[in-house]
Amino acid sequence: MHISKKIVVLGHFGVGKTSLIRRFVENSFSDNYKVSIGVHIVKKEVELSEEDTVSLILWDLEGTDDISRIRDSYLLGTHGLIYVFDVSRPSTFQTINDDLKKLEKRVKGVPVKVVGNKTDLILLDELKTVLDGKEISYDYLTSAKTGEKVNDLFEQLAKMLALDAEKI
Amino acid sequence: MLKRYKEEFHGRKFQFILTDLKGVVLESDQHLLAVKEKELIGDVHPFFFSLPEIMQGDERTTSFHCVQLGDRTGELTTDITVEKVDKRLLVIIENLTDHYLSYQSIAQSRNESIIDSELILLKNHELQERERFKNEFIQNFSHELRNPLTNIIALTNILQRSNLNEEQTGILEVLKGSTSNLKLMLEDILSLAMISKGKLALNPTVFNFRQFIEFIRLTYTTRAQEKGLAFALTADEKIPEYIEGDRLRMLQIVTNLCDNAIKYTEKGKVALYIALNQKRANTINLRFGVKDTGQGIPEEKLETVLESFEQLGKSEGAGLGLAIVKGLLALMNAQIKIQSIENEGSHFYFDVTLKYPLHHQSTLLTSKHAVTHTSPKISKTPKKFKVLLVEDNEHVQTSLLKTLIDTGDFFIDLVGDGALVMQEIVNKHYDIVLMDVNLPNITGDQLAKVIRGLPFKNIKKIPIIGITANSYKEQIKAYKKAGMNIVLSKPFDDVELIKTMYKLLR
Repeated sequence: MHISKKIVVLGHFGVGKTSLIRRFVENSFSDNYKVSIGVHIVKKEVELSEEDTVSLILWDLEGTDDISRIRDSYLLGTHGLIYVFDVSRPSTFQTINDDLKKLEKRVKGVPVKVVGNKTDLILLDELKTVLDGKEISYDYLTSAKTGEKVNDLFEQLAKMLALDAEKI
Repeated sequence: MLKRYKEEFHGRKFQFILTDLKGVVLESDQHLLAVKEKELIGDVHPFFFSLPEIMQGDERTTSFHCVQLGDRTGELTTDITVEKVDKRLLVIIENLTDHYLSYQSIAQSRNESIIDSELILLKNHELQERERFKNEFIQNFSHELRNPLTNIIALTNILQRSNLNEEQTGILEVLKGSTSNLKLMLEDILSLAMISKGKLALNPTVFNFRQFIEFIRLTYTTRAQEKGLAFALTADEKIPEYIEGDRLRMLQIVTNLCDNAIKYTEKGKVALYIALNQKRANTINLRFGVKDTGQGIPEEKLETVLESFEQLGKSEGAGLGLAIVKGLLALMNAQIKIQSIENEGSHFYFDVTLKYPLHHQSTLLTSKHAVTHTSPKISKTPKKFKVLLVEDNEHVQTSLLKTLIDTGDFFIDLVGDGALVMQEIVNKHYDIVLMDVNLPNITGDQLAKVIRGLPFKNIKKIPIIGITANSYKEQIKAYKKAGMNIVLSKPFDDVELIKTMYKLLR
């Protein structure tokens, strides 16, 4: 079975959305920060088994600190969302719970993975305490720089979407 | 001709693609992207993959702004409009690369500046947190040190009054010297923590400045001689005899600077000068300076030498002296300045404004600043006093009991639990109560409050001396308000304790 799924990657600016995608697609990383504007789309095939592959169409959106400013057209036909925040900058995860509620209203029923990126910059124990204190739940803590958990994130999402497709 | 120009102009900016509803290309020009007929539009670029699905809805037109369609060969930033026309999809791509490029550079500098300022704030917050943690640690740790240090001082004094041979006396002198240094260091650490927390307030009083200078001259002439150095002190004669300021903190500043100069000078001299910069109606501005012929400070260290725990090479002490000087001078709206040449010497100086009273009677002077080391036995009285000692710490009990017994002036009852104090006080007549503040079950200050509220005149006025490891002024004030006559902060020596007791029993 071969299926294609559109995944929108969003979050504040400078959180490493493009770096996460580049790590997953090209297995590379650059320390130079280049702002993404608008949307950049790349495709990556994930082999789940000999017969099953999922083409992930990754929409890398321009970062914004106001989720309501994301254009509706970018979210059309989305099968999954990845909300990325920067674990070293609290401003990028302070409004996360509100943002997720707003997103749920705009793309009902679409699965969302919450990802804390740049774990190479801080101690994980401290981070977990901070996130627990703010009642922020997350799905993955990644580092685009080291590659930590990056493939897990996309591959698990691909599996989940493939399972959902089978059910349909 | 015009039509050809129009086509060329539009051709560079637009591409039109026609597909069926499943996304199979029916027609296309090739102005921006290479598109073959009959191929799936989703294969041209992943952006187009979801178009057929999106256009299944009721919307006739959908627009996408700022879509990056470029690849490794070049940038292509576009606005894309998709229209449903007669069961077909018309895709119009407009090349706006130049337009969006200018937006990109604006966004780049804006985002970088926001991220940079966020990171600076975070760094600043982290430094403040570290400073707070350090101060709390220092404060708690130094309080913990006070109990054992009090015992060491008390027991050393007791030992000194016993029959010792020459060798033992020598060893004891070294022990006393070390204890004294330890006590000074502890006080320095606490001062620094209090300055950092903003809890140190100045306590200005009128004091005899000449006596102040003489005390410093005597102390440092001896100390410099011990190291084979010369010590010179010059003070402007026009400086008034009495000035108003926090004598203790002034002394702490000057002694820290002199100690530092002696510490880092191996030969030559240390000179302290006090010059009158300005004299007004009731204020004077003085310059204090300490010059030495020591090792000097390397240029790269000049900025950090005033920070806590900074030292030049390996040397004794905690490296707090100059940090304390800096902090205390800040409280006095003054600032330390340093001139130094490596291997030639250093010059530390500051200007400070102080008040001075226009008419001050010499008789107001007391000898309380004179440094004396009176043995407790000198104050021996013919009468014996009954003392209630309330202390739960066994080591402190032992040293206090020995100190009191050694005077031969006291009968002592000992209670280790605050809850038993009232029973003792009401049933027996005591002349004085010596009480730790931090007691199990009921604290010393709570007890003092209860005692002061008793209906028995002879009991409610009994002198109470509180003992505490807490040295914060406001806390000590609170203990006194609760009814304690005097509160001694640990570590104190036995002479101080006995003198205080006699003073209250007089």
